[in-house]
Amino acid sequence: MEILYLLIPLSVVLVFFILGGLWWAIDRGQFEDIEAEGARILRDS
Amino acid sequence: MSNASLALPVALPLSSPHSLEALRMLDDPQEWVAFSRPCAQDATVWESNVVIEGMHCAACSLTLEDAIGRVPGVLGVQVGAASHRARVMWSSSGARPSDWMRAVQDCGYRAVPANDVFVNERRKLETRQALWRWLVAGLCMMQVMMYAYPAYVAHPGDLTGEMEQLLRWASWVLTLPVILFSCGPFFKNALRDIAHAHISMDLPVALGMAITFAVSTAGTFEPQGLFGREVYFDSLTMFVFFLLTGRWLELRLRDRTAGALEALMNRLPDSVERRDASGGFERVAVRRVVVGDVVRVHAGEAFLADGVVEQGDTMVDEALLTGESRPLSRGPGASVVAGSHNLSATVQVRVERTGDATRFAQIVALMESAAATKPEGAQIADRLAKPFLIAVLLAAAASCAWWWGRDPGHALMVAVAVLVVTCPCALSLATPAAMLAAAGSLARRGVLVRKLSALEALAAVDTVVFDKTGTLTRDAFSLGTVDTRPGLSASQALAMAAAMAQHSLHPVSRALSVAAQATEKVEGNGAGGGETLGHWWCDTAAEVAGQGISGLVVDQSSVPVVPAVAMRLGSASYCGVEPQRSTGLRVFLSDAQGWLATFELSEEIRSEAAKVVAALKGDGVTVHLLSGDDSDAVAQVAEQAGILHAKGACSPSDKLAFLKDLQKRGHTVAMVGDGLNDGPVLAGAHVAFAMGKAVPLTQAKADFVVMGDHLSSVVQAVRLARRTQGVVRQNLWWALLYNAACVPLAVVGMLPAWAAGLGMAASSLLVVLNALRLAREPAFGEN
Repeated sequence: MEILYLLIPLSVVLVFFILGGLWWAIDRGQFEDIEAEGARILRDS
Repeated sequence: MSNASLALPVALPLSSPHSLEALRMLDDPQEWVAFSRPCAQDATVWESNVVIEGMHCAACSLTLEDAIGRVPGVLGVQVGAASHRARVMWSSSGARPSDWMRAVQDCGYRAVPANDVFVNERRKLETRQALWRWLVAGLCMMQVMMYAYPAYVAHPGDLTGEMEQLLRWASWVLTLPVILFSCGPFFKNALRDIAHAHISMDLPVALGMAITFAVSTAGTFEPQGLFGREVYFDSLTMFVFFLLTGRWLELRLRDRTAGALEALMNRLPDSVERRDASGGFERVAVRRVVVGDVVRVHAGEAFLADGVVEQGDTMVDEALLTGESRPLSRGPGASVVAGSHNLSATVQVRVERTGDATRFAQIVALMESAAATKPEGAQIADRLAKPFLIAVLLAAAASCAWWWGRDPGHALMVAVAVLVVTCPCALSLATPAAMLAAAGSLARRGVLVRKLSALEALAAVDTVVFDKTGTLTRDAFSLGTVDTRPGLSASQALAMAAAMAQHSLHPVSRALSVAAQATEKVEGNGAGGGETLGHWWCDTAAEVAGQGISGLVVDQSSVPVVPAVAMRLGSASYCGVEPQRSTGLRVFLSDAQGWLATFELSEEIRSEAAKVVAALKGDGVTVHLLSGDDSDAVAQVAEQAGILHAKGACSPSDKLAFLKDLQKRGHTVAMVGDGLNDGPVLAGAHVAFAMGKAVPLTQAKADFVVMGDHLSSVVQAVRLARRTQGVVRQNLWWALLYNAACVPLAVVGMLPAWAAGLGMAASSLLVVLNALRLAREPAFGEN
């Protein structure tokens, strides 16, 4: 069970990483236009 | 905003592309600042925002990006599929806005400058921030729950002290961003409340959060300390997440309705033809026109400044300003007002007043001042909430003081239990949840709710005041009875009149043409029903503004060719006919022998008007009709619609005075209108409805905007508002009963914090579910 002493702090760090990723996505406006990006991959240019 | 609101409400007809000349107006650098701004690094590079009309899918946005991107001088472009807005980066040394606006137009879309860009930018930031706060709270809540779980399920001795301590530290670290960042708005509002010495729902919420966090922090780092060793991080984060979810949904709904309305402010700058020194005319932007300029205004255009006619005879439509729906004649020397429309002929006008000095701007000012003195609706939740919140705070403080001597930590958590279990959630959700559900239901029926609190005022409405033109009636006239000289059939007379009428743009002429076309169709389908109508043609037609038309009328289909007959179509005096006293509008047709036919015209009343008035009366609402038109016309429409109280010939300030009088007598008044002249009344009424075709400025002052142009939406809104009020009452009663049961338990310390949190959540859920019943609304006429 000693491994938990490492895993719990790690999970806290992981949460902060996930939060950072979310901030990055929101700040770049990724939740503001959800439809156009889906269509963009269907185009060649 | 001031620029946008003072610009005249001349909506361009949708779907018709802008002329190249109109787009050129945007090449004037003075116009750029309204929808663009220069880049920070390079002042010759501008970033413009435009609204695209005609977009319907994500593929459209990519097509547009390609098209705009190919224009030389355009450095970058981004088109939002959901927002229908484009952001274009362009170099002022290589391109002009009209270049890439034309590229948009060539693809089959229309671009209008986004004059609301700065408002919109701020709202976008706000939305991002709210989303971010909510996600932080959600993610941290989930993780804190994980850390709290072992403490709930472990048997005594399973969990070592060190492990428990580690889990607590982890919870504390993850609660920190929630309390510092996600709860920011609650603490800010609470501090503002304290500074202004009033109380709102945010104060007990913020207090509960702060105390819970403080007690839990003490429990984590100083288990042997004053406040004991209990921690409540899981309850805290869950509580915050629930609250933020509600706020986020509310924000989304507000944005959607506000965005739809502000978009109405977006249009091309108005331009006008100004006489230059050489006597020619050039098109300039309106803001360049100064007093003393002579401008040429074509038929169908709006007057953009107050002035005096120098040359030409025309008919003008001042319905927007005065409510008088019949066209008025204006010749040399007569004054015209900004905001009215030129109907029949090109005139030259010497500008006397521009901008703030115009009649238009004065009505706007009247509107602003009326809005400032708008009576506040009785807000039942607010009235209840304030004493209730004070009682809660006192109860929390008292119970805390009572327990303090025995165990300060327990005392504080009892206080928190009181603060939390009193369910500021249920109480604060009771009203907005019901209002949001009602607003959503109304939006699906084509009624936009601009202010949620207006629903509460609407439920109390006992008087509805309608405007006439454009609200109870349609804009066009319809043909009533036709009297003719013996030997002439009504449809023949109509065919003759229509031949003359097609030379004029006057609304009466248009009504005659439309009626003639309709009869022709019917007679044609009747397979030669007796007589032939003939193929009438009118030559050398001449219109005398405000009087009528004269011309030579001939039947081209007649086999032995008959000579053309000189005829006149117009008012009684123009046609040399004995004037008769009548309530409606009459037009006469005469030839050299005198009277030929009389056409009675009436304003076309909306088909559902009478039904709507009857329904409102059935609901116990008094209906009034208030109009700028002359009293006879108003009385006629009132009779048709079944309205008992009607008043005509009202100026905008008369209307406002009438409204204030009603309000003084204790009535709660809703106003339904559309014109600019209704603006002040709409702003002053308890509840204001604007019809969908209303001018943007009028819509901006309304609480509800009826988009589908269906009058019956007003009845639906009133009924739904009353049902909403009922649900709000049920919700508040539930919240009160629940509190009456739980507060004593919490005060005596019988209710642990987790049970308080559970009670709070269950109670909120019940309130929300009850509110959702409003989404299912029986259609108009079913009950």
